[in-house]
Amino acid sequence: MESDGVERRSVGGLLHRLDARVKLLAAVAFVVAVVATPLGAWRLLGGLGLALAVLIAVSGASPIRLFLRWLGFLALVGFLSALTAGGLADRAHMSWGLVVLNLLVKNSLAFLMMLVLVHVTTWPQLLLAMRRLGMPPVLAATLSFMDRYVNVLREELERMRSARRARWFRQGRDLSVGALSTLIGVLLLRALEREERVHAAMSARGWDGTIRTLED
Amino acid sequence: MSGLVYHYPDGNHALNGVSFEIAAGESVALIGPNGAGKSTLLLHLNGLLPDRRSSAGSHHHHGAGWSGRKGRGPASVWIDGLEVDARNAVEVRRRVGLLFQDPDDQLFSASVIEDVAFGPLNLGMDKAEARRLAIACLERVDLVAAADRPPHHLSFGERKRVCLAGVLACGPSVLALDEPTANLDPRGRRRFIQLISGLASTKLIATHDLEMVLDVCSRTILLDGGAVVADGPSRAILADAPLLEAHGLETPLSLLIPRSAADQRAASPD
Repeated sequence: MESDGVERRSVGGLLHRLDARVKLLAAVAFVVAVVATPLGAWRLLGGLGLALAVLIAVSGASPIRLFLRWLGFLALVGFLSALTAGGLADRAHMSWGLVVLNLLVKNSLAFLMMLVLVHVTTWPQLLLAMRRLGMPPVLAATLSFMDRYVNVLREELERMRSARRARWFRQGRDLSVGALSTLIGVLLLRALEREERVHAAMSARGWDGTIRTLED
Repeated sequence: MSGLVYHYPDGNHALNGVSFEIAAGESVALIGPNGAGKSTLLLHLNGLLPDRRSSAGSHHHHGAGWSGRKGRGPASVWIDGLEVDARNAVEVRRRVGLLFQDPDDQLFSASVIEDVAFGPLNLGMDKAEARRLAIACLERVDLVAAADRPPHHLSFGERKRVCLAGVLACGPSVLALDEPTANLDPRGRRRFIQLISGLASTKLIATHDLEMVLDVCSRTILLDGGAVVADGPSRAILADAPLLEAHGLETPLSLLIPRSAADQRAASPD
């Protein structure tokens, strides 16, 4: 398990080979540090940003892909910072705009750090690290299931969309909000049915509610 | 299995008094149109559906044995003399290996080896032993190389074989296979049939693949409307065109080919 995926994903980075627990703890420590930075401590943030930039360079992650992912997250974060900045600006005696900028920078640093972490650590390694660090087995199993079935469900959604598109004889967008919500509803029902079958399959092989794995 | 009755919670009758016996080592095909109750029956072998029956509330225990009429009697299934019920569930599930139709239902672990080891670990094996057994079972289906891969990176046929390895790892004496050849390409299908044929355990195979039935199963049970319509040697039942057509099936082509041609085909290498 430790070596799993290293050949597949490694670009020769030392980071890939590091124990996943160390990486996870370091990443979390970094995020805590970023969050704990007081408002207006630009130099400190700059220093942390520099460290992150070095880390990204070493990790071999594509900056463009990181940037695009960050961009996708930006809308939500921007909205939330704009909402919360008002009260903070009064207390910190800073202008509203600067507070929003500060929140955005902090959030981006934390988010990018996590992206780097998942770039240099495969999902099974990360999961194992979390388990070894004392995450409850049920939570670990839930995360593992999520990873397993998110692909299956996405394919199912894709098939339903194609089937819809195949009988959609008009120009323009093929999925209105109403149609999409129906599709999601159907997907939910199918997921429930699949859950029943998966549970039956687990019971059929002697599952009694205790989660047992080869690794721990 | 005797007098098996099963209703779905919505009141649909899935099985109406199904009775048959299968001897150890026998290979039996379970055929019938969609909705005949084949898959439901297989789930019963494992005691996976008992609570629903009692929640339907219309049945009372009348003791074991023949009842055979709808609305009567408990759903009684015996495996190796063990009655399938909550008390025996663990032992029964160890003896009956159930292969689901959709491999994505059965492969729920993060990696192939974890999945194959799932059954052995649940049976109380220690990790090292479970790992060895899992690798041995993957060898049987020729997929050791895929041990550390995540299941969604495998092809459909490979996933199907991993499922079989996971079932074999539990060491079952009875194999219940639900549509083992469905959705496989011809090569994958032939390979899977070879694998199944090579297994010594008792087999009950629910399928629409009647050519496979001729290859693998000496006996066939025809199920329709939740009841047994016919039960006998595969060749006799599958050659009975009117019977098959009446129940939404058709005689396999190889039985329609004149004898001499069929012999020739059998003589030539596959």
